[in-house]
Amino acid sequence: MITFILRRVVQTLVVIILLSYVCFGLMTLMPGDPVEMMISANPRITAEDVVRLRTFYGLDQPIYKRYANWVSDIAQGELGYSRTYRIPVTEMMGPALTSTFVLSMCSLAFSLIVAIPLGIICALKPNSRLDYIVNLFNFAGISVPSFWLGIVLIIIFAVNLGWLPAGGYQTTGLQYTSWFHEMADKSKYLILPMLSLSIQSIGRFSRFTRSAMLEAMRNDFIRTARAKGLSRNVVVWKHGFRNALIPLITIVAISLSSIFSGALITETLFAYPGVGRLIYSSIMGNDFNVAMVSFVISVSMVLVMNLVADLLYGVVDPRISFN
Amino acid sequence: MSATQVIPASSSLSQNQIQHLEKAQSLTQIVYNQFKEHKAAVFGAYTILFFVIIALSAPLIEAVTGLDSDSQNVFNRYKPPFSAVKAGTDVREHAIQQFIEQNPQVAADLQKQLLDKKIVTSAKPEDALYDWASLDKAQAIQALNQIDSAAKTDLKKIAQKFESFHILGTDELGRDVMMRLIYGTRISMGVGILVALASSLIGLLIGALAGFYGGVLDTVLMRVTDALLSLPLMPVLIVVAAIDLQKIPFIKALISSGNESILKLVFILCLFSWMTVARLVRGSILSLREREFILASKTLGATDFTVITRHMFPNVIAPMLVSVTLGVGESILFEAALSYLGLGIQPPTPSWGNMLFNAQELIYQAPFLAILPGVLILLVTISFNYLGDGLQDAIDPKAIRR
Repeated sequence: MITFILRRVVQTLVVIILLSYVCFGLMTLMPGDPVEMMISANPRITAEDVVRLRTFYGLDQPIYKRYANWVSDIAQGELGYSRTYRIPVTEMMGPALTSTFVLSMCSLAFSLIVAIPLGIICALKPNSRLDYIVNLFNFAGISVPSFWLGIVLIIIFAVNLGWLPAGGYQTTGLQYTSWFHEMADKSKYLILPMLSLSIQSIGRFSRFTRSAMLEAMRNDFIRTARAKGLSRNVVVWKHGFRNALIPLITIVAISLSSIFSGALITETLFAYPGVGRLIYSSIMGNDFNVAMVSFVISVSMVLVMNLVADLLYGVVDPRISFN
Repeated sequence: MSATQVIPASSSLSQNQIQHLEKAQSLTQIVYNQFKEHKAAVFGAYTILFFVIIALSAPLIEAVTGLDSDSQNVFNRYKPPFSAVKAGTDVREHAIQQFIEQNPQVAADLQKQLLDKKIVTSAKPEDALYDWASLDKAQAIQALNQIDSAAKTDLKKIAQKFESFHILGTDELGRDVMMRLIYGTRISMGVGILVALASSLIGLLIGALAGFYGGVLDTVLMRVTDALLSLPLMPVLIVVAAIDLQKIPFIKALISSGNESILKLVFILCLFSWMTVARLVRGSILSLREREFILASKTLGATDFTVITRHMFPNVIAPMLVSVTLGVGESILFEAALSYLGLGIQPPTPSWGNMLFNAQELIYQAPFLAILPGVLILLVTISFNYLGDGLQDAIDPKAIRR
């Protein structure tokens, strides 16, 4: 058990370090060298100035040295400044991470609430008409491009019906009178991004619940429970669903990273100030410091969540041994 | 099999039916018959076939309709579907100028006739053809009918271009949406299929090496696979897609054509989509390794290469096929997402994804434009997913028994 945990932790760390190094190297290959941008902004810069600036920013050193410097800065809690906004990266990361966390968790909760009952209903009546309709919906869910669905939702609910805002995080200039007021206002902005982010996981979870539940209901102990005279609800939830839960937890854990992936697009589409949008806009705006930090932190978070899910796995199903 | 099922006596079957039952079915036949029962998968297969035909016949459609996907017309942006559009004066005059330059004698004769028949009232004879060109399409063709000239058919062709009919309207640069969608089909489906095939080959190679040789090689390859699988793909794809290939000297020499963005996208998507196939192949090969026929061929002196390619690959093709089919849908979605973010296929090359690039700005002016490419993406992806599902059901031996 201990060796398993240690091995997984070391693996995760190695992946994070390798990934951040590769990412650091790739950033230098992106268009928009910082010194070149200064040159184009100021025609009076001479060749000596360029050399001096390159040395000043450490750009004349090889990548691995620059990477080592960067890591030691990070280790000391020095995340650097955003080139675009001229504020410390730490100030940007906090709110962005919170927003993304709220969005992802809402989406995860929503998709589970919708998908699990759908999957169970289908599993209890396989090959019924309802099953076919839900199946079609599931396939549509995993096949629809989420950004396009977001656009369609905006057209319907923001442009035509005018019920919900087309994008943003909160109503600008609004003074919140109470905690409840704030929640109500912000959740209004959360609905459309959450819907477009959830649809894919709903499809995936629902298909998975259906097959796991079908498998579980085929067990002998289900027949025994029925024969014993237990009510349908007890059989389905206590005996069937509990056993279907184990494979479901796996797929939920795997889905965390794909939900985060989707959040990047959804946040960009809805101008929702999360970390996904931060990664995208900082890369597009050549704000490499922000891009690097937000990328590494968010990917590490996903990896750590995967690690936690892996460890929890043994808690949920005692039959699984880590050896 | 339930016990209550009555097995019919052989006398109730005709000779033909008995023969049919007794004849052994080949695996492909069983798979095919099983596949046919999955109605949605069959529907998906037909939809894919339809789009492949559309994509292949794009130049033909262009020739027949006389529309092309690139010609811009800034005066006719955002036209709704089923609208006829008049070509701008610059386009008309350019066509006439070319005509005059190519055959000056005929042009002079035409100018004289046009003035004589009082079709146009130009101050100078040189202007006569240009004035004719400013007429409406119907009027211009009517005028041509009054004139006898050898170049009549040529002029009629020019007149045809004075007005174009756009079934699906025009986009933000006045280009024909239908033609762009048709050419987009080529790019989007092409990229999807290419990525799925190429990445499955990579996966096959890596999975086979890891599964067959085991040991350190297996550990290393599978760690890499697991690591890549656990990454959130979209941020990683964005970071990789944002790099400027021009900064890598070796690649710079390799690709310099206009297809750079397509090749780059295919390469990037391949880099991050081989993992599922690799795991699948590794799993199958691990179990195949213990089988007797592999031992037999090894005993007969077959090389590792022969064992892997001749004896193992045929056994992993079937499950791989499913994952390739599902991979096409996924790749199409990723292409669309990256192009939507402006990091995929670069305009003017149309793809379904980059047609949605500024779709957000269009939702007030032309919501139709923002919806249409997405519908096609949805339709094709869902078809590939259903096809994959159907193939899985057909190939899975448990499904055959039922």
